[in-house]
Amino acid sequence: MNEPVTTTSATERARKRAAMAFTALIMLPLLVLSQQTPAPTVQPTGGAPATASAQPRAGGGLGFERTVPLIASGRWTGKRLADGQPDVSGDWSNTIANHNNFTDPQGGIPGDPQARGRQLGPREERAPSRVSDPADGELPYLPWAREKQHEFQVGFFLNTKPEYIEPLARCAPAGIPKSFYWHGYEIRQYPGHILFLFNSGSRIIYLDNQKHLPQNIKLWNGDSRGHWEGNTLVVDVSNLNAKARLGRTGDFTTENVHVVERFIFQNDNKRYNYVATFEDPDAFSRPFTVTIPARRWSVEDKTNGWHYEVPLANNPGKPPQGDHFERICVENNGGFGRVAVSAGNTGDKPK
Amino acid sequence: MKLQSLARGAALVLAALASLLLAAAPTWASDGASNPAKIPRLSSGKPDFSGIWETTSAADYDLEPHGARKDAPPGPGIVEGNEIPYTPEALAKKQKNFAARDVSDPRLKCWTLGTPRGIYYPEPFQILQRAQDVTVYFEFGDSVRTIHTDGTLHPIETDHEFWLGDSRGHWEGDTLVVDVRDFNDQTWLSRAGDFHDEAFHIVERWKLVDANTIDYRATIEDPGIYTRPWNIEVYLYRHREKNFELIENYCYTLDYDSYYPYPKQ
Repeated sequence: MNEPVTTTSATERARKRAAMAFTALIMLPLLVLSQQTPAPTVQPTGGAPATASAQPRAGGGLGFERTVPLIASGRWTGKRLADGQPDVSGDWSNTIANHNNFTDPQGGIPGDPQARGRQLGPREERAPSRVSDPADGELPYLPWAREKQHEFQVGFFLNTKPEYIEPLARCAPAGIPKSFYWHGYEIRQYPGHILFLFNSGSRIIYLDNQKHLPQNIKLWNGDSRGHWEGNTLVVDVSNLNAKARLGRTGDFTTENVHVVERFIFQNDNKRYNYVATFEDPDAFSRPFTVTIPARRWSVEDKTNGWHYEVPLANNPGKPPQGDHFERICVENNGGFGRVAVSAGNTGDKPK
Repeated sequence: MKLQSLARGAALVLAALASLLLAAAPTWASDGASNPAKIPRLSSGKPDFSGIWETTSAADYDLEPHGARKDAPPGPGIVEGNEIPYTPEALAKKQKNFAARDVSDPRLKCWTLGTPRGIYYPEPFQILQRAQDVTVYFEFGDSVRTIHTDGTLHPIETDHEFWLGDSRGHWEGDTLVVDVRDFNDQTWLSRAGDFHDEAFHIVERWKLVDANTIDYRATIEDPGIYTRPWNIEVYLYRHREKNFELIENYCYTLDYDSYYPYPKQ
């Protein structure tokens, strides 16, 4: 599936990582495979609140918690910005696996020819489905949509149609909700706006109670209108173009999907849960809820090639702080994304 | 005379001199249009550039004065002295770029426009401002530039990888002064093929001349390409239309958009 790629060490060059996100994308299947064997020292904790350390495993790599902490919606007692918003700005990342598999996040991609014969243990040893409702963790597809999802899942390894290549591999925004389990990301807050800077794509959340854009305008990241309810940022999302996939398992929504996201922040400001309800009667028999746990990353953490692509700023004589560089993708794209970009861009290096 | 009176006298003379100098110097501070009381400010007192801005100039078509072309409206140019001081070799390359502009301009692939081009490109950008940084969010390609205003310095390591450059800003009165460096050599400065290499260095000066207008100036240098530093100046106007906002424009996805019809029954 993937063409070989030579890249800089994942730990020594934070700047390269920031500027060359796509290289990491190519490497990802290998990275994830190496992470998928559960660590013997961590005990599965079922549905109980997480007790496992949120620290990355030795050598960095992908967060591998198996549980979702309980965080209740309620009052915000943490620090606030001058405009009254809870101050949740900074760097965040998911704590459970990546986008390979939507409903079995630590289960690898079904049909992966690179799985190297590795056997998965019992399902309960792995993190729960991102689908927290229905209770069975499955997406409640209508029959035609389940068939389509399966086609995309099988096609992902065949690449026999352009639409089988995940758009993210072509540097498209990861979309909703995939952006929340695709690398770490930064939240910046302003009066009237919240800005999410993802590894691939960005989102401006408007805190203005305005109507959505006209429905003929369809967008990778949709149109987001939010407000705060105590410790919870509630965002109504419409106008999605439904071109981004939910994972490498072929999961999708249609462009008539309506999403209500709830970002429920823990009052110690170290954790939040993303809990989003998707309504999409064109493809699903009922609404479903997606839950994605996240935790804060800071300079107390080591730079991490997945969760925290933030090097230390050049700030002599002052306390350490993180630096944020530009994010570039399409301009540096290569590998299998190469087939997709415009004619003439056939090299790894832009000319 | 007592010492105290002497000091007072000297202070008065100095004050008089200073006001004379201020009155005579062609500084922005003396410009009646830039009454500091009338520009938006953050609670810190610093000018607040928050908002959506766009040029009305034809600078992106050609930075230098130019008559109408089939692919460009005419414009008086934004280069001080009218001409970009290319070396002879660089001028030859610029002319080659110009001849091939309908296929070679990186903007046609929706690649990050770079600095300063994104600023005077004819598509809006939004400024989101905090004490520690000024975020410039370009509608074109949804690219995001961060101007750090927290006192941090350029990274020690310089490896010429940035499309937008590394931007570190500080305030000189009401002017945001930004030093931008560590560029790659991939971006153009205009559709006319103006270009640079990795030694490209820009010092920007951002100043609100009134609540709805930014005077954007930049000094540009690149010793291998230009014979001397040169200056540009362009005004940026605030979008004030009702309900105006940026609309997502990941235009590089348009090349493959048709491959992803949303699934239907």
